[in-house]
Amino acid sequence: MRNPLSPSSLLAGASESSYVRSLVVGTVGVLALLGVLGVAFPESVAGDLSRIVFSTSTGASTARLAAPIVLAGLGGIFAEKSGVINIGLEGLLIISAFVSVYAASVVGVGNAVLGVPALVVAFLAGIAASTFLAAVFAVVCIEFKADQIIAGLAVWLIALGLAPFMSTVFFGGVNTPNLGVSVGWQYSATLVVLATVGSWWLLNQTAFGKHLRAAGENPKALDTVGVSVSKVRYAGVLLSGVLSGVGGSALALSIGQFVGSGETMVQGKGFIAIVAYLFGNYNPIGTLGAGALFAGLDAMQIRLQQLGYAVPDTLVQTIPYVVVIVVLALVGRTQIPEAAGEHYETEE
Amino acid sequence: MNPAVHLDGITKRFPGVVANDDVDLAVERGSVHALLGENGAGKTTLMNVLYGLYQPTEGTVRLDGEPRSFDSPRDAIDAGVGMIHQHFMLVDPMTVWENVVLGNEPKSWGGLRVDREAAREAVVELSERYGFDVDPDAKIADISVGEQQRVEILKALYRGADVLIMDEPTAVLTPQEVEELYGVFDELTEQGKTIIFISHKLGEALSAADDITVLRDGVNVGTVAAADVTREELAEMMVGREVLMDPATSPQEAGERVLEVTDLSVEDDRGVEAVSDLSFELRGGEILGIAGVDGNGQSQLVEAVTGLRETASGEIRYRGESMVGKTRRDRIDRGMAFIPEDRQERGLVMSYDLTENGILGSQHDEPFARGGRLDWGAARDHAESVIEQYDVRPPDAEAEAESLSGGNQQKFIVGREFERDPELVVATHPTRGVDIGSTEFLHDRLLELRAEGKAVLLVSSKLDEVQGLSDRLAVIHEGEFTGVVDPATVTEEEIGLLMAGESLDDDSVEGAALHDAAVDGADGAEGADDASNDGIDGATGGEEGVDA
Repeated sequence: MRNPLSPSSLLAGASESSYVRSLVVGTVGVLALLGVLGVAFPESVAGDLSRIVFSTSTGASTARLAAPIVLAGLGGIFAEKSGVINIGLEGLLIISAFVSVYAASVVGVGNAVLGVPALVVAFLAGIAASTFLAAVFAVVCIEFKADQIIAGLAVWLIALGLAPFMSTVFFGGVNTPNLGVSVGWQYSATLVVLATVGSWWLLNQTAFGKHLRAAGENPKALDTVGVSVSKVRYAGVLLSGVLSGVGGSALALSIGQFVGSGETMVQGKGFIAIVAYLFGNYNPIGTLGAGALFAGLDAMQIRLQQLGYAVPDTLVQTIPYVVVIVVLALVGRTQIPEAAGEHYETEE
Repeated sequence: MNPAVHLDGITKRFPGVVANDDVDLAVERGSVHALLGENGAGKTTLMNVLYGLYQPTEGTVRLDGEPRSFDSPRDAIDAGVGMIHQHFMLVDPMTVWENVVLGNEPKSWGGLRVDREAAREAVVELSERYGFDVDPDAKIADISVGEQQRVEILKALYRGADVLIMDEPTAVLTPQEVEELYGVFDELTEQGKTIIFISHKLGEALSAADDITVLRDGVNVGTVAAADVTREELAEMMVGREVLMDPATSPQEAGERVLEVTDLSVEDDRGVEAVSDLSFELRGGEILGIAGVDGNGQSQLVEAVTGLRETASGEIRYRGESMVGKTRRDRIDRGMAFIPEDRQERGLVMSYDLTENGILGSQHDEPFARGGRLDWGAARDHAESVIEQYDVRPPDAEAEAESLSGGNQQKFIVGREFERDPELVVATHPTRGVDIGSTEFLHDRLLELRAEGKAVLLVSSKLDEVQGLSDRLAVIHEGEFTGVVDPATVTEEEIGLLMAGESLDDDSVEGAALHDAAVDGADGAEGADDASNDGIDGATGGEEGVDA
């Protein structure tokens, strides 16, 4: 009999293979090597690198950058496991980032609504906005059987246009003014860890997790045992909205501002989230690792720039995409749910 | 005592169609009941009424005498009626126990957790009780089709089913698995479960069922005890007329050499040798049957001959010309017709209508292709002629292939390929899923082709089919022929031995052949009883016995 909370069962149950375990071991190994090199040759590039990697400020910005990636990635797992590919995660992040800042400014930082502090209200508003947009996406895909990829792109494009537009309407510019407060990285890190553990539990230990998986693999099997495939899929997509909402809000509130110019402050993190969960093989813990890795590289790149190394940031930003192509092509271990992207209709 | 299931005057009308017309059906508790009929006789509709998928237009469903009405399969499940579909409803990457409890998971921690210990225990307990040998922790994708079927049965039992409905339960099983399934039936009925299974196979109904109800055109033709009925009587009930097929065809002068295969080796998708150094030849006016347990290289052999798979070594000569390195199109152009194993994968484009499907393979040729465009009028006429000659239903050239039943799809493919006017027909499982009336017709067409001097390479898992039609019968085992025998004299036991990879020494062949000749005619009816496969040549054997 296995204790579901013991670490070995956490990893074994979490991954079908040793895939995630080898990811973890590999990451730890690289970090250890870097640490040893840094200690041995403090004046070299390795020394600079190890100082960056093990500095608290890099850790802090990693946590901040990782939050939207990991949370949206976890959301993406729920949607895709249920059979709905949600490539609109980016749009969900954008909309929640803006709405959370807007809500905070409406309430006024330091004020409270019914005893709830403004920043909490801001979080909730961001989550509500993202969940609403996800609900629209779910209705279009599940009820009206639209193509999921096109609907997902629409979600992104709508948010990409709407958020800066609303910012212009309410604040007179695509960037909102800074709220003057920011949520500390510790909160982002805590949210990420809680969401990861919670998602893992939901997916692997609960009946809902089994239904989700069945809906994505063989919806007919689920239907014939009397569980509504649509309901399960709605739940999956709405969860992706909730989790992305947390991620987007955390991103904006950690800076205290919504930046709407160009690709907005989200800057493709929703797409990297998809990469992260594919890299993590639909496993929340793997997704956490992949998200932290991508965010860490980004944070390091910023630090290196500050130290005077001319690291091209655009090149660093392509790393996640290169990684996913390598993973999908060479490793080929990620297992896309059999019925992902397919509509399901009950026979009556 | 009331019957476990009593369907009382069930009529089910769809717009324009009466699928079931005043059907009565009574099934005793603890018995196995076969619902026999041709494709489209209304068997599945009737069972869907019992399972709550359809509401009857008229009539009552009674369980243990109580009238019940089911609005959905869920109601039927709650009332103890379980259905095992022909295509299993299992989630491949999940384990056996996860599949069994899906939707009814035992929970602990106030619903926050699936109680996997309790779930596993329930599955283990059930499989031990019914003598199923299933590993609860195995993934569905890793177990055999027979085991998957047992998982489906466990699913129904776990939900408290007393009545199990099985749709064509042997369609996907190997002969050994079929035997095991009959064993499972015994276990279940001993413990008071009632089984109704849908079938169009006579042999299966006779050997597995206690009682047989025959449906024809939505009407109950009669219910008989399996012990009191013969194959030919059943066949006549099903088809509505006497079914005759004479596999002992007139001897045919072998014509020119059409296909010559020398030392052929073919690898499967994993690069493992599936056909090893195989040699044979096939002449015009000859049918060469290939028998064997599925997966012994038949598919790869056929694919190599038809140009769908590269050969590893060896030579294939078709009408004197080497085919190695020739494309599929080259072979079609030279008059090689092919009835593929998987009709939905390779025989038809499911989303095309029959007009479009009818010209597949001939799309480059007159009269369909004219100066760079397709002549849809000619294509339509062609499809309509195939539909008419081969009795494809519904007779609508604009129907999508997807909307046809499996048997009708098969008839359309066979029709298209035969109408190509081929020199060589490579036919794999040509009558799979086809009802016996149509099977008889397709067999006649194969024999006509033979009489016209065409060559036929026939691969089938139905032993009586290959045995009845072939001039020579080759038995394949692990990519090699274990024997080439005369189908008229060989016994089923001998073929079984060859299929298992054992060779027959000459004495035993001759001895068996002599023995066979001695009892031939005198005891044809016994041969009919022995034939465990479906098809109707057993019935013919019985006919001969009566004549004698």
